[in-house]
Amino acid sequence: MLGLKELARRRLQFSLIILVVTLIAYLILMINGLGVGLNQLAGSTLWKLGGNAIAYAEEAELSIIRSELDNQALEALQGHSKITDIAPLGYLAVNIGGEAEGSDLRSAALLSIDINSTTGIKMPEIVAGRSLNTDAHEILASTEFLEDSGLSLGDEVLIQIRLAEWPFTIVGEVNAGMFFFQPTIFVNQLFWQALKYSENNKSTPIASVVLLSVENFEDLNIKGIDIVSKKEAFGNIEGVAGQQSTIAALRVFGYLIGSLVIGTFFYVLTLQKEAQLGVLKAIGASNTYLFFQVMTQTIFISLVGISISVPLAWATAQGLSQLPTRVPVAFEIETFITTSIVLLVMGIIGSLLSGNRIARVDPIIALGQQP
Amino acid sequence: MSTDNEMLQVENLSKTYTSGSEEVHAVQEVSFNASAGEFLAIVGPSGSGKTTLIAMIGALLTPSRGSIQINNQRLEELSQKKRTHYRKKNVGYVFQANNLVPFLTAKENLLLISEIGGVKKKVARNRVDKLLEELGLSKRKNALATDLSGGERQRIAIGRALMNKPDLILVDEPTAALDSERGQQVVRSLIQEVKQRQVLGIMVTHDLAMAAQADRVLEMKDGFLV
Repeated sequence: MLGLKELARRRLQFSLIILVVTLIAYLILMINGLGVGLNQLAGSTLWKLGGNAIAYAEEAELSIIRSELDNQALEALQGHSKITDIAPLGYLAVNIGGEAEGSDLRSAALLSIDINSTTGIKMPEIVAGRSLNTDAHEILASTEFLEDSGLSLGDEVLIQIRLAEWPFTIVGEVNAGMFFFQPTIFVNQLFWQALKYSENNKSTPIASVVLLSVENFEDLNIKGIDIVSKKEAFGNIEGVAGQQSTIAALRVFGYLIGSLVIGTFFYVLTLQKEAQLGVLKAIGASNTYLFFQVMTQTIFISLVGISISVPLAWATAQGLSQLPTRVPVAFEIETFITTSIVLLVMGIIGSLLSGNRIARVDPIIALGQQP
Repeated sequence: MSTDNEMLQVENLSKTYTSGSEEVHAVQEVSFNASAGEFLAIVGPSGSGKTTLIAMIGALLTPSRGSIQINNQRLEELSQKKRTHYRKKNVGYVFQANNLVPFLTAKENLLLISEIGGVKKKVARNRVDKLLEELGLSKRKNALATDLSGGERQRIAIGRALMNKPDLILVDEPTAALDSERGQQVVRSLIQEVKQRQVLGIMVTHDLAMAAQADRVLEMKDGFLV
């Protein structure tokens, strides 16, 4: 195999190309990791909760901040034939301080759950401590909140809202992630109503949105309510759309640059080898045979570059997670697989430039004549 | 004026290039025949058209007029793909020095022909060993092309030309990069291979001493055979 032998014999030259491909693959992986990390910050809570759809008040235009749903809306959802389960969810951005005088204030996304509900929709998983009691001033805190604040189960906190302070005790740790770029905490629905509206009576909204289990989305029209899939709801979290399009643009540019760099390297190598290619064509090598050699080299170099960059990116993410300031880089197996496949495909596309050049080499140059 | 045992028939062959607004008649109305087992030398000054002539016989160039018939196959009628196939199966080229693949060993340069031709590895290895033995290069088989001397490189080039058992061996200035003694040795090797394998050999050279060893010498001037 001519292409592989050339790789083996010209190690230095090809090692440098592998280094460049590795750095590009690493850069693209880090961009994708940043995308995943930012998405986790934006709303991993949403994915950790059950249900496949979310209901908003129609006038809120899919904004969880502006959405308010009352009992009547809840009953309409509950009574719909295509909705099998519902779970009201309240949202409020709050500041939380420790009980000690002068302790630091921290932001958190406060969500409400109805602990008396018998909903089949999955609620946050308690990993330590216990669930909330109905009337007690208690919260469940996400692991991220406890890590960021240094607080522990049993600690007293003060939730500050409208210049008032509400004392709560952390009774459980939940695997709930982040929401609106803040660590999530959960309170009972009644407290959420009291915190947000200073009252709870029949006319008080009982949720910001409602998590739903929906059989299918067709003919799911309820007056005054918008129902969308969780994916669409996630995309409508304030700031997420802009963030996702920025990351997507960076990703596309990364792939394009990767493809161009690999393509250019092989194009230059092909130009340097034109005389040799002419000889090979003169002795009977077909364009297909020669292009196959370039393709083999491209695939080999891309695979080696990707194989080095994947553990490198993973190690970087691990290192970044140890920093005191949160750097939102996270990886999922899918990120590695998708990025690797796309990079490989882009490398192959890049090498098509060389294929075109090879096809244009005239074998007459083997006899020292101009084509 | 062809006979049955004549392998190559070249008739009224011409090649005209266009250089800017000017027409260059590189080869004009050339006709000759040759048989298997013959070794021809084509001589002439630079620009006389001898390299263009063997390029057409080797299917690297298409003639402007006339015909080339080898083993009853008309080259000018072949498509690009079939011309590549023809070169792969029927022609062995020996170019001027330094046309081996530099990062391959002597042995690998010969095996490359089999790889291109899709010959089975075992068969190819046996043939390479035999050829290297015949060329006296068995001990240098694992040396990189860049580590071989000029004479060794040219002998490997001859071996490469013989690898696919061609009907026709085309040789372009094989001694250009060699001293006189080495050059004579290379030409002797070529003639020996042509006779032994009963193939047709055509060598382009400007060296009359080398040409004198051939069975026949064709002289070219200004594109014409004189």
